[in-house]
Amino acid sequence: MPVPDHDVLIIGSGASGGMAAYTLTRKGIKCLMLDAGPPLDFTRVRVAKPVYELPYRGFGQPGRLPHVLQANEFNANQWADETQNPYTYDPKNPFNWVRVRLVGGKTLFWSRMSFRLSDYEFKAKDHDGFGDNWPIRNADLAPYYDQVEPIFRVAGRKEGLPQLPDGVFIEDNSPDSEAAKRFIAAAKQRNIPVTKMRRSMGRGPLASSLNLLLPDALATGNLTIVPNAVVREVTVDKNTGLVNGANFVDRHSRREMHAQARVVVVGASCLESTRLLLNSGIANSSGVLGHYLHDQFYITQGVQAVVPEARDGKAQRGSIGGGGYVPRFRNLATKEKNFLRGYAYDFSFGGTPDARFFPLYGEALDRAVESCRGAGFSATIMGEVLPRFENRVSIDKKVADAWGIPALHFQMRYSDNEFHMAKDAMTTLAELCQSAGFEVLSKHDRMFPPGYSIHELGTCRMGDNPKTSVLNQWNQSHDIKNLFVVDGSSFVTGGSQNPTMTILALSMRASDYLAEQMRKGEV
Amino acid sequence: MQALVAAPATPALVAQQQPAAAAYPPAAPPVDDSAPLAVSMADAAAEPVLHFFTTSQFAALRKLSDLLMPAANAVPGALEAHAAEFLDFLIGDSPGERQQIYRGGLDALNAQAKKRFGKSFAETEPAQAEELLAPLRDPWTYDPPADPLARLLWTAKEDVRTATQNSREWSLAAAANGRRSGSGLYWLPID
Repeated sequence: MPVPDHDVLIIGSGASGGMAAYTLTRKGIKCLMLDAGPPLDFTRVRVAKPVYELPYRGFGQPGRLPHVLQANEFNANQWADETQNPYTYDPKNPFNWVRVRLVGGKTLFWSRMSFRLSDYEFKAKDHDGFGDNWPIRNADLAPYYDQVEPIFRVAGRKEGLPQLPDGVFIEDNSPDSEAAKRFIAAAKQRNIPVTKMRRSMGRGPLASSLNLLLPDALATGNLTIVPNAVVREVTVDKNTGLVNGANFVDRHSRREMHAQARVVVVGASCLESTRLLLNSGIANSSGVLGHYLHDQFYITQGVQAVVPEARDGKAQRGSIGGGGYVPRFRNLATKEKNFLRGYAYDFSFGGTPDARFFPLYGEALDRAVESCRGAGFSATIMGEVLPRFENRVSIDKKVADAWGIPALHFQMRYSDNEFHMAKDAMTTLAELCQSAGFEVLSKHDRMFPPGYSIHELGTCRMGDNPKTSVLNQWNQSHDIKNLFVVDGSSFVTGGSQNPTMTILALSMRASDYLAEQMRKGEV
Repeated sequence: MQALVAAPATPALVAQQQPAAAAYPPAAPPVDDSAPLAVSMADAAAEPVLHFFTTSQFAALRKLSDLLMPAANAVPGALEAHAAEFLDFLIGDSPGERQQIYRGGLDALNAQAKKRFGKSFAETEPAQAEELLAPLRDPWTYDPPADPLARLLWTAKEDVRTATQNSREWSLAAAANGRRSGSGLYWLPID
């Protein structure tokens, strides 16, 4: 039986690969999708268990997944195994590379926070002189955000803020709790906006490529998905210089295979896509492939506070609960002395502060925790990280993964811009809590190592100049016109907003363009 | 069906040579023998063998665990939950840095007790123990304290709490009082 021809080979099945398949197959384009992981039957891979039945009582197996701080003993098996998938860094500058190798990718587990970037990001250089502008602006991407948000069913409230453009929302008209109202009022006094959370509701238990994109793509009859296909390299036709498919290895048997296609779309996740291009030795005439790695620094429980009137179980209905989002408010109309760009908070009420925050032990500690049950205020600080040339990944020729594919070496560290920003974020948040009448239990400005936010971005950035960027504004390689990279690696700057909606919109826009170019015979 | 699959396979050649109908007794009435058996976890039926801490370190840890997490009302404490015994296993299985926090910290705790009260920590009176646990009354900071004793106390405060609240004894007591205890969806290894 002859192997069927595919128009487009898509590498990766998460947000970016899934959206490419969704967009291209609905236009009648035959796609083959490869993913390094298996497809899951959720009813079979998870079982309910009490924590005491786990071998390590919920502590997790010591030394397993040392870079995945999100892992716990229940979910340890959902993350990519670090011994099979090694990477290297100078011990002084660690990077937490968190990976998922399953069909659907990280959209199976994401926090679902769904924001748009604004022209403060797309045209960041115009605003403060640092770095580079994107080759697109909000108006270019807005029509695609408009289509992505209804697919993911984003709940939110229109706020009219230039730094956080509104979307096509399922309107969130829920009332704010009394505690939230006090926080919002304290923020307003300082001209700090507070919005409702913007979150993908999805369908059923998931808001994933797995249930929102891939089934529709398969229903067209134009998509073939091959799981457990670990791609080794994108292959090039020596005569034309164009890409013509990919070599991959079966995850279980290690059998080597080649898949043929007219176009290759890479959406393997930011750093896996860049690793693949580096290992393929293509698309790097600019020399910037692997450079400008950035993410968002995260500080969890940056401020831990208690709402006094909710202590001792005295919370009334509507007095506490809910949460919200504080979008960037620094360096918009004003200018900070010691840092560029800005940060966001996401906050929630109604939790119970962790025992470690109380300077007590024994029965006194139990009484204190019990008194604060359900009365907590907690917030995560999410800060923009400047994209810098020197923060980069490269191939470590001495280390390979379980399939013999050379691993990545990381050189990434935060700079004073991030540290100064973190201090301001913590101080300001603690002041807001005090103004709102909350008791501040603890505060800190210590960020996790780079990578923790799982928002790694850049390394295959887009731009108008082929000498300083890898992709053009359509996520198309400057060097090879039938090669597209559609994930977060294409970002020029990331802002402080969670990037998934932008990745989805970019992939849809690039796929629209690709389909049109194929129709015209240009690709 | 389940039993046939699980039984050692008869060599295929032999099976083929015999008329199938004559080889087996008449079929038994159908029963559901695929339901899982009722089994017990080891903690409910056996004692852990201790191997990591020295006798004096373990005695100090056991006393410390009782002070950090005493039994209250109908809720079991660290002793009932065998938290110290569990930590002997967990810390023994942990990277060297974490092992040293415990070994060095427990030795420091005993040394301080000896120096100030002339006895081991396990033998201290409540007021004496309270003095030694003073670092637990310092305000929380993100970075743990550098002093070995303070570092141990901060670490053990969290670990003993987790080991106790995630124990079988805690869970059973919580269920008896109509309260929820820790559980979740466990991900099986993915092939």
